[in-house]
Amino acid sequence: MSTKEDRERIELLQGTLDLLILQTLLLSPAHGHAIAKAIEFRSEDVLQVEQGSLYPALHRLIKRGWISVEEGTSENNRRAKFYRLTPKGRRQLTVETRKWHKLAGAIARILRPREQEGES
Amino acid sequence: MMRRKRMLEGLDEDIRDHIARETQDNLERGMTPQEARYAAMRKFGNVMRVKEETREVWSVVWLEQLWQDIRYGLRMLRKSPGFSAVAILTLALGIGANTAIFSLIDAVMLRSLPVENPSQLVLLQWAARNSPNVHGYQSAGDCANDMRLGAKNPGGCSFSEPMFREIAKANVFSATAAFANSGRLNLTGNGAAAVINGQLVSGDFFHTLGLKAATGRLIDTTDDMPSAAPVAVLNYGYWQSAFGGSRDVVGRTIELNSVPFTIVGVAEQRFTGITPGSDYDVWLPLSDAQRITPLMRWRDRQSDASYWWLTIIGRLKPETQLAQAQAPVSGLFRNEMLHGAVPLFHDGAAGTPPPMPGAPAGGNVAISMSAVPQRTPGAGSVQIASGGPPPSAGNKPVIIAGPPGAAPAGGAHGSAAADGRKNLSPEDNPEIKLAPAPSGLTGSRTRYSNPLYVLMLVVGIILLIACANVAGLMLARSAARQKEMAVRLALGAGRARIVRQLLTESVMLSVLGGVLGILFAYWGAHTILSFVSSNQPRPLGFATGVDLRVLGFTAAISLLTGILFGIAPTLRSARVDLTPALKEGTGSSETTGHARGKWFSIGNALVVAQVALAIVVLVAAGLLVRTLANLRSVDVGFDSHNILIFGIDPTLIGYKGPQADSLYRDLQGRLAETPGVTAASYSMMPLLSSGLMITGFHWPGTPQDQESEADALGVGPNFFETMRIPFLIGRGFTASDFKLSVANDGATPTSAPTPVIVNHAFVEKYLGKENPLGKRFGQAEATADEPANAGFEIIGVVRDAKYNDLRREIHAMMYMPQRFGGATFELRTAADPQALLPTVRETVAQVNTNLPLYDVKTESEQIDRLLFQERLVARLSGFFALLALVLACVGLYGLLSYEVSRRTREIGIRMALGAHQGNVMKLVLRQGFVLAIVGAAVGIGAALSVTRYLASMLYNVRASDPTTLAGVAVLLAFVALAACYIPARRAMRVDPIDALRHE
Repeated sequence: MSTKEDRERIELLQGTLDLLILQTLLLSPAHGHAIAKAIEFRSEDVLQVEQGSLYPALHRLIKRGWISVEEGTSENNRRAKFYRLTPKGRRQLTVETRKWHKLAGAIARILRPREQEGES
Repeated sequence: MMRRKRMLEGLDEDIRDHIARETQDNLERGMTPQEARYAAMRKFGNVMRVKEETREVWSVVWLEQLWQDIRYGLRMLRKSPGFSAVAILTLALGIGANTAIFSLIDAVMLRSLPVENPSQLVLLQWAARNSPNVHGYQSAGDCANDMRLGAKNPGGCSFSEPMFREIAKANVFSATAAFANSGRLNLTGNGAAAVINGQLVSGDFFHTLGLKAATGRLIDTTDDMPSAAPVAVLNYGYWQSAFGGSRDVVGRTIELNSVPFTIVGVAEQRFTGITPGSDYDVWLPLSDAQRITPLMRWRDRQSDASYWWLTIIGRLKPETQLAQAQAPVSGLFRNEMLHGAVPLFHDGAAGTPPPMPGAPAGGNVAISMSAVPQRTPGAGSVQIASGGPPPSAGNKPVIIAGPPGAAPAGGAHGSAAADGRKNLSPEDNPEIKLAPAPSGLTGSRTRYSNPLYVLMLVVGIILLIACANVAGLMLARSAARQKEMAVRLALGAGRARIVRQLLTESVMLSVLGGVLGILFAYWGAHTILSFVSSNQPRPLGFATGVDLRVLGFTAAISLLTGILFGIAPTLRSARVDLTPALKEGTGSSETTGHARGKWFSIGNALVVAQVALAIVVLVAAGLLVRTLANLRSVDVGFDSHNILIFGIDPTLIGYKGPQADSLYRDLQGRLAETPGVTAASYSMMPLLSSGLMITGFHWPGTPQDQESEADALGVGPNFFETMRIPFLIGRGFTASDFKLSVANDGATPTSAPTPVIVNHAFVEKYLGKENPLGKRFGQAEATADEPANAGFEIIGVVRDAKYNDLRREIHAMMYMPQRFGGATFELRTAADPQALLPTVRETVAQVNTNLPLYDVKTESEQIDRLLFQERLVARLSGFFALLALVLACVGLYGLLSYEVSRRTREIGIRMALGAHQGNVMKLVLRQGFVLAIVGAAVGIGAALSVTRYLASMLYNVRASDPTTLAGVAVLLAFVALAACYIPARRAMRVDPIDALRHE
């Protein structure tokens, strides 16, 4: 994944992508392309998924039983595979989200004094 | 697997769809079609990589790693073909031996009955606190019988026909069937006359077992009626061999004991009889029993509730448990025994059985149960013989003949002693127990279980030796592979992964060994079974085959073996210390102090273990071989060389007593004059055929109801001269003796006693210092049911001779003039007995063409058959013992060889410092000898504790016999010396200069 500005590429961990997919599917089932677009849209274009890496992530989630897949019809009446969150996945989403916030909080705490220093 | 396939199936399409959508979006954003597509593909990323990554999500990691390990292992094995070949061969021998013995155990003991749903079949067995007072009791050895008089808690599985009919009517089972040995059958109407074995079965027999016909049909209930025409069903194998397997056999008529039977069908191939080990040629309906039994031997069994002769099996109803069915059946039996028309249980004075004129067929005849003591003493003799050659020889078949209901020509001997019989008392507690047929019908199994277990133990030890051997080889090899291991570890391989890979290599070795071993096993088991078969009077009803259970067993031990011998070398390899191993200049000859010490002791320990185990096997084999030698050198009391024996049974084709008698004498005369025959005679059964008869009588001077007993044998004229049993005093039988004997056995016995000849042991037991000649005994007063019996008079004494078995000591024995029934002829020949056979057959045919010979063999062969178990075990354990010795010494040789090459540098230094060649040789020899001696010591200790389990099989040699132990130790010393020789010589010839340069 990369941000819009290629100068500042932010590497995302594999696990983070899984978390974003689960969150995206929380609202409703979606097909692969829609998930990619949703992530871009909701991150206000900060996160642009290299769309190919979506698929290994999706299959990993299927293998773990956090999402399930089914055939369906998309908006423009085309056949597509739809992914849906399973109850297990829903529970896992809560866990992962909590972990993420914890991590983010910890990093923020470490960074704050330096910023304050920088400011002052 | 399926999930993976499913998931990956649509992947290509999904990716294409995705890119198409993105392209569409791009078009909407205003790009040109080409730009749109290009941007979409760029955004997607590397399609190939995506596909690969997705596939990897679904891959089963360990499976792929295993496949990698296997390929690597194969490569490594191919690189050292010498090691691989030796290891695989060694393992093949060990695994093959185990598989062979296991397949025999499987065929004999584990295989289920060849019928439909065998677990539903049950066998009826009776038990009580005292023996029933029956007229007659017959068993063909289908199950364990104990009908000895005075036996506590007798039991058995023979029942009367009325009891069978009642049980069948009671409808406790979904189907009930009964069967019994038909006795010897004289077959005519299909080429030359022959003697075959048959089984009488009730109408429902084949239906109960759920069998099908290979051709034609099987016996059914309409055939089992007195009015039905006699029909017969052939054994498949017999059909092939005697009738050429031709389909037109259905509808043909044959005569069995001169009675015409129509063949209606052939049984399916896998069925030779319901009892393990049995192999019947023909099945006949129960209702024809009387037709085929010679009149003299017939008792009215079919309506006699006190003649027990049928084995009964039933098929449980689908919802019924065994215990549920047992209660009603047992109740029925109990009722009948206690309150029935003929109460049968009490503890003592039962009827006296008359001498039954049945000649037991060679082999497997039981000891009698001693005669029933009588209120009115009479010449009661107990039966022993089975009515015909019992095909299954596991449990000893028994016949106890009681006073006949329908008196045969021989008259009613023995007292029915109605007054002597008490009513059955409830304390006797007669009951029926049901046993699952597969375990209840033991047949021949018990006979073979002992040697098979011994052999299983022996081959188990061989496998351990083989494992230790290969482990030693692998240890040596692992030292050479240290560098490889070090490199792998340095490159980041986990130790667990390496251990797994090395174990995979060992398991592969043992699996390859197992595959080769199956071939060995197949050949080996086949050889053993043919050996066993050739020593039976009847073909053995067991067949080996490599079935699933055997394959499963082989796979399991291959796996375990691989892990067992792989563990130690593997763990050692994976613990390699990296730095010294990677350094150049330090070859495999030097490792750090600790590691070296450890390896040293493991390698030594393995050799010591191999030697010790080999000693155990050698000692066991030595004891068994000595047992065989001892048995063979037993003085049998007669000259057993150059004697041709064969049996004939004229009663089967309708000869009556006196007719048969004169036939025998006629035949004896003719045979005695045949060129090449030195002497001829006959007897009721051949000596040393395990057939035995015991007779009871009253000895004068003892209390009225006390019974004495002695072994008994009916013999023809010239018997003792033919067998070369010398007379001590007195004379042999004359023609008038025979006439008298026949008369005494008829309806009106004379007042003269039957002349008998006794052996020395008899004199010692009963007469002491008294003069035996003229002594009379066994007289009986007249009773309501039988006339007075004049008893016996001793007219001669002969030297002791063995009777039925080599192991059994010599008992008091009396020889009587042979009266009637089947007989075995003994011909002493000047030269090879077999060569005279055609002439003999001709001579017999001249007398009567319908008189076939059966059980033709020489006396030496007879003794061989008697000893076949000992021979089998001695041969096999001897073979395995030598194998073990070879393996152990190869192991010792390998270790020493390796040591020498490992210490070449050290040897060179020693020599350079002044050691002589002799010193170097001593160095090697010392190590070898120390190992051998320690191994021997451990081995002898182990042997002493193990061989006591063999004690029951030994003869005249103790389990702790010092001579055998010493002999084995000396043998080992020699072989160890040989094993040390080559490495020692190699050590001696080390050139110091080369050695010092050696890396």
